[in-house]
Amino acid sequence: MSTKNTHIPEWLTVPFAGITPAPSQEKGQDLFPTGNWRSIRPVYRDKLPPCNNACGTNEKIQGYLDLVKRGKYLDAYALIKEDMPFPSVTGRVCYHPCEQACNRGKYDEAISIRAVERFLGDLGQALTSDVVKPGKPNGKKVAVVGSGPAGHSAAYQLARLGYAVTIFEKSPKAGGLNRGGIPDWVLPQNILDREIERLEQLGIEIKTGVEVGKDITWDDLKKNYDACVLAVGLTEPNSVRAEGEDKEGVLYGLSFLRDIGMGTSKVKLGARVAVIGGGNTAIDCAREALRQGAAEVTMITVEGNTKEMPASPEDLHDMVEEGVELLHGRSVTAVLGNGKVEACQLHKARFSGAINASPITVDRDAPAERFVVDNVIIAIGQHASLNWLPAEFKNERGTIKMDKFGRLGDTNFFAAGDIAQVGSGQPLMVVNAVGDGKRVAFNLDKVMRGEKLQPRTIPVDVIFDLNRMNMTYFPHFPRVQQEMLPTEKRTKTQDEVIQAFTEEQAVEEANRCFSCGTCNACDNCYLVCPEPCIARPERSNGMYKILVDYCKGCRVCIEECPTGCLEGVPELDFDTGVVRMDTAFAISPGLHGRQAQELKNLGDRPAKNI
Amino acid sequence: MSYTELTVWTRGIIMDKEGRDIVNSISASARIEGKYAQAMENYVDNPDRTNCPTRKYCRVSDEVLENELTYENEHPNIVVLVEGTMVKGWDYMRGMPPGGTLVINTHYTPDYMIRFVPGPERLAQLVCVDAAKIADHKWLYYRLGELGLDRLSTEGAAERNKSIAPDIAAPLIAAVVKTTGIVKMKTIEPMIANKHAFEVALNELHIMSLNPVAV
Repeated sequence: MSTKNTHIPEWLTVPFAGITPAPSQEKGQDLFPTGNWRSIRPVYRDKLPPCNNACGTNEKIQGYLDLVKRGKYLDAYALIKEDMPFPSVTGRVCYHPCEQACNRGKYDEAISIRAVERFLGDLGQALTSDVVKPGKPNGKKVAVVGSGPAGHSAAYQLARLGYAVTIFEKSPKAGGLNRGGIPDWVLPQNILDREIERLEQLGIEIKTGVEVGKDITWDDLKKNYDACVLAVGLTEPNSVRAEGEDKEGVLYGLSFLRDIGMGTSKVKLGARVAVIGGGNTAIDCAREALRQGAAEVTMITVEGNTKEMPASPEDLHDMVEEGVELLHGRSVTAVLGNGKVEACQLHKARFSGAINASPITVDRDAPAERFVVDNVIIAIGQHASLNWLPAEFKNERGTIKMDKFGRLGDTNFFAAGDIAQVGSGQPLMVVNAVGDGKRVAFNLDKVMRGEKLQPRTIPVDVIFDLNRMNMTYFPHFPRVQQEMLPTEKRTKTQDEVIQAFTEEQAVEEANRCFSCGTCNACDNCYLVCPEPCIARPERSNGMYKILVDYCKGCRVCIEECPTGCLEGVPELDFDTGVVRMDTAFAISPGLHGRQAQELKNLGDRPAKNI
Repeated sequence: MSYTELTVWTRGIIMDKEGRDIVNSISASARIEGKYAQAMENYVDNPDRTNCPTRKYCRVSDEVLENELTYENEHPNIVVLVEGTMVKGWDYMRGMPPGGTLVINTHYTPDYMIRFVPGPERLAQLVCVDAAKIADHKWLYYRLGELGLDRLSTEGAAERNKSIAPDIAAPLIAAVVKTTGIVKMKTIEPMIANKHAFEVALNELHIMSLNPVAV
């Protein structure tokens, strides 16, 4: 059958059943949107990775690992500096809650986040000038009391916001706990010096040798400054309340470390040392004691085993490797000796509650043990010294009375760090103090600008479940281990025990990141989409866009998203995306009605001679 | 004289049988009642494509159907959307005379859905029924054996399950019949396989009255 010379009636010149106009024809474009096939729309929605959630200062860990992976080290350093003023310090001392939370830990081994942070911190140290610049001066003066982690962090953030900040430090050198509480073989002094230098480069004035309450009073602070951050820390060591604790040879953990750190230590340790306590400071004291010439170091803890100790398991492992003995489930009830320590009297003991801050129950009926030692180092925590604080801001537990934003009443005084966090259940660690300093700085800024302080109400979706990601994309890969100083060398020097990552190691480790719930521009969605429905002007988080007129909702991109960032949202939840598509075969109303008229008339016509 | 057109919009393959069951059961009931009725599928939509919009038609009249050779309903009095999202997609209201009925399978309320309806002034009522929930429907392929092979693009030819409305069609039929009275309840009820869903749906309709037309 030939259609040559066939007359095409007017009503058949428009597209009709069975004929679809090409997109180049008139109305052809209207026919091709396929968005109305969709009942689920893919949406890019970044979730919070567990590392970021667990971090005391909410560092954007996934973000900087991703940048390290791509070789953008400076960008990564700038990103980390948003939340953390001294990555070179926390890269060495942090108890890395991020690594405990890392989803990769459930899969093979957690990512060595701290080592990458240290790599970036050291990179920042090597820069001639820092990437962070002070904010535009706003003419307001803020005093920060204490230059430890919280004070350092608060001062840093306030300087970035444009405040003129003055730090008051009691000791001859700034650094607070970073200086006095952490031994040199964990954090070399020159690293901290460089970070303090960076702080001064932001225009912050640091006045050392000024003690609040003695050299400067509450009223001075109130009169001379627009606002003040109190980050004085916990300075007074807790006592074991044992008989004879005042004997010569009994030392307290933090002051023992501080004197060594400041270079003012006159302590000469005997051959046998007992360290009382089971926390990180106690571990540092025990390891420092070995380096100070002790031959036998024993750690005496109330905790029944190593698992209950509130200490980083890695440090514990290193300590045992260096030869420190552990004695669990004992409490010191008396320090024996004639003027000088000769032995400790130990009794069996345990915590009466579930947590190791609860009161200790000592079994006095059991026979006492005599433990021969030359020195005792007590490291069972500290408490605050608040003699200088007006009584109205003290509570019955001996801590500062403040609201949940760290503000003292209606004053412009804020408290940050250990002094604010003690008793809150939060571990009193460097990174938590840094986070507290950061939050307090932002709260202070809000108060100064006259804004209302409001608790954060945005729900946070943290990815804890590996099933929310596509694990087929992640082969098992072992963690890159940081090199360690050989054990036999460690006790003789103050050299750093844990060695830094090389560039290759840092990139390899960053490559292991799952990027949980956050788009890392892997381009997978762009590649797997069966239609060209995903547009990205540039390969970067936030630049991917779904062309909703054409997306059929086949879910391939959602299923194939390795990080779980793409999710399907019911199309009806959106007011937008209405594609009133005419069906391909009757693009104008009544078309088939006219055809029907023709069909009705068929009977009246003579058969066509085809 | 009464003449009613019913158009069902459904999704190719995955909900093809649901749409077919609605038009077939209603036209069969009408014929039992002595009316002239017709039901057909629209092949021009290429219903062998998964998820594609597909139409099913039904006409019920007291007199002989004049337009029985026309394969498209021009003036549907009743429109059923078997899948709720279709409300955003097409001009399914095209040609509807005033006083029409729109039935949507959705868990949203008519208040929410009315915003998506083009030309709602023609509607006498908007009916929302959560048919998927009432019939415990899973929009997945793993129930293939149970529901019949029509999910494999055979348009019913290789169907294992010959029953009518075993699934989400039952609540939708209940919604159509109860709100429009196109056929009598007692004629259609014996045909429905999923009787439980049919009965539950009768009490779980969300009806929004709009612009009734005086008879």
